[in-house]
Amino acid sequence: MEEKQVEVAAATNHHKHKKDMRSLINLNLVILFLFVLNGFAQTSDTDTSTYKKRVLESIEVDFLASYYSQDGDNAAVSGGIGTEELTDLTSAFVVSVPLNDDDVLTIDAGISAYTSASSSNINPFDDGYADPFVASSGASSSDVWINANGNYSHSSDDRNQIVSGKLSISSEYDYFSVGVGGSFTKLFNEKNTELSINANIFIDTWKLIYPYELRPFLEGGAGLNDPLFTRNTITGNPNYQPLFSELNGKGRNSYAIGLGFSQILSKKLQGTLSLDLIMQTGLLSTPFQRVYFDDMEDSFIDNFHLADDVEQLPDKRIKTAIGGRLNYYINEIFVVRTFYRYYMDDWGITSQTASIELPIKIADKFTLYPSYRYYYQTAADYFAPYEEHLSTDKYYTSDYDLSKFSANQYGFGMSYTDVFTKSHVWKFGLKSIDLKYAHYSRDSGLTADMITGGFKFVME
Amino acid sequence: MIRKTILLLFLFVSITSCVSVKEYEKVSLNDPDMILADKKSDRNISTFHSYREAAVGANGGKTGGGCGCN
Repeated sequence: MEEKQVEVAAATNHHKHKKDMRSLINLNLVILFLFVLNGFAQTSDTDTSTYKKRVLESIEVDFLASYYSQDGDNAAVSGGIGTEELTDLTSAFVVSVPLNDDDVLTIDAGISAYTSASSSNINPFDDGYADPFVASSGASSSDVWINANGNYSHSSDDRNQIVSGKLSISSEYDYFSVGVGGSFTKLFNEKNTELSINANIFIDTWKLIYPYELRPFLEGGAGLNDPLFTRNTITGNPNYQPLFSELNGKGRNSYAIGLGFSQILSKKLQGTLSLDLIMQTGLLSTPFQRVYFDDMEDSFIDNFHLADDVEQLPDKRIKTAIGGRLNYYINEIFVVRTFYRYYMDDWGITSQTASIELPIKIADKFTLYPSYRYYYQTAADYFAPYEEHLSTDKYYTSDYDLSKFSANQYGFGMSYTDVFTKSHVWKFGLKSIDLKYAHYSRDSGLTADMITGGFKFVME
Repeated sequence: MIRKTILLLFLFVSITSCVSVKEYEKVSLNDPDMILADKKSDRNISTFHSYREAAVGANGGKTGGGCGCN
């Protein structure tokens, strides 16, 4: 009996102890929350100066240019095999105009021209021997992408609130996009803490371009009586019959909302955390990316495998990305810049990105930028390599951008900065030049080289 | 995952909320290389990443619209 009473007392004490602990934890959380609020409460009330510095002193112009070249053997256009050779030249002007002390208008306009061996094989039959590893000529071998963005931002008198809105438009031969967005930023704690929220909507439209050999099987097409098949010999299965029907819809909408939190951690250390939530709806597959099924007979013209279908992907995708940056000023020569991101989506992809850059000031005006970036992702649920899908699958793609891979990128950059803008082009003084080279390689075989340049001018 | 992130965010805020570096003490923080974003000249590299990789967002770059990218 006594033993039982002792056990009951012990159990009661244990329960009471747990309850006390919970209360203590809750109390601590409340105190912590009040502490945080107190931190935020130390806001701009100390900023009592009447002098208002212009947000932007004068017109600034950035000219940005880049060259990109890639190669690999897993082209999505030819179902996971074939050349991925692609080169791209991009240039853009970004002009920031101070409209008054508080408001800045930024116009960003660019053009990008590319040639692509893989997209040339949307029609591999237009000249010579058809082969997925050989580029074809014709309309789809190159394209031009143009875009323009306008951004208007307004800062409050104490510079602790920034509101901005933007419009964007971009166009290429088979893709058109209109976007609208806005953001609100609030600074606290003598500008040591910054919170921001932004939202963007993109309304995009595809022009549906299918692989050339599938077009005769669209409604009203001639099927195997099309000249493509009567003028060429089909080897393998001569009764080529793809499992293809036209895609539904041409639209793709993207809705993104982002939260940001930046904090000064000491006189030499600051960091930021970002959360982006993105929902995409509509046509999320690419109309000209072929798929080959393991359970269908193969048909060829020359060495080119005729498509069984184009990729099919769900019409909705939700993406979540959480990222952080931490920058540390070591001394007058070295700075460390770091970035990490975790990403996941409802197609089964998770990914991690980590990068580090070490700016080294070698002279008053010159800084070197060695950098390294690591990237890893898991495969989408709907990915399988060349000829490994089954025709009974609902969704399928052989786009290696959605496969499992890891990638390493090594970069080296250099910048020249002249705060006194001694060199001039017309009324503009040259403030800085940035050049960077980066080499990117995936363990799946794709490699890419990138060269970027940036020239910043300030109107005097 | 989201709970962990909120907790991390909360801890980050808690630890740092009392830090207050004065404007005149921000010389090092105002160094152009301390900016908490990609350099403007790097943006095309970020755009290429958004084409070649599934992950987007949380880096100030594209978040999935305006291109036929992933």
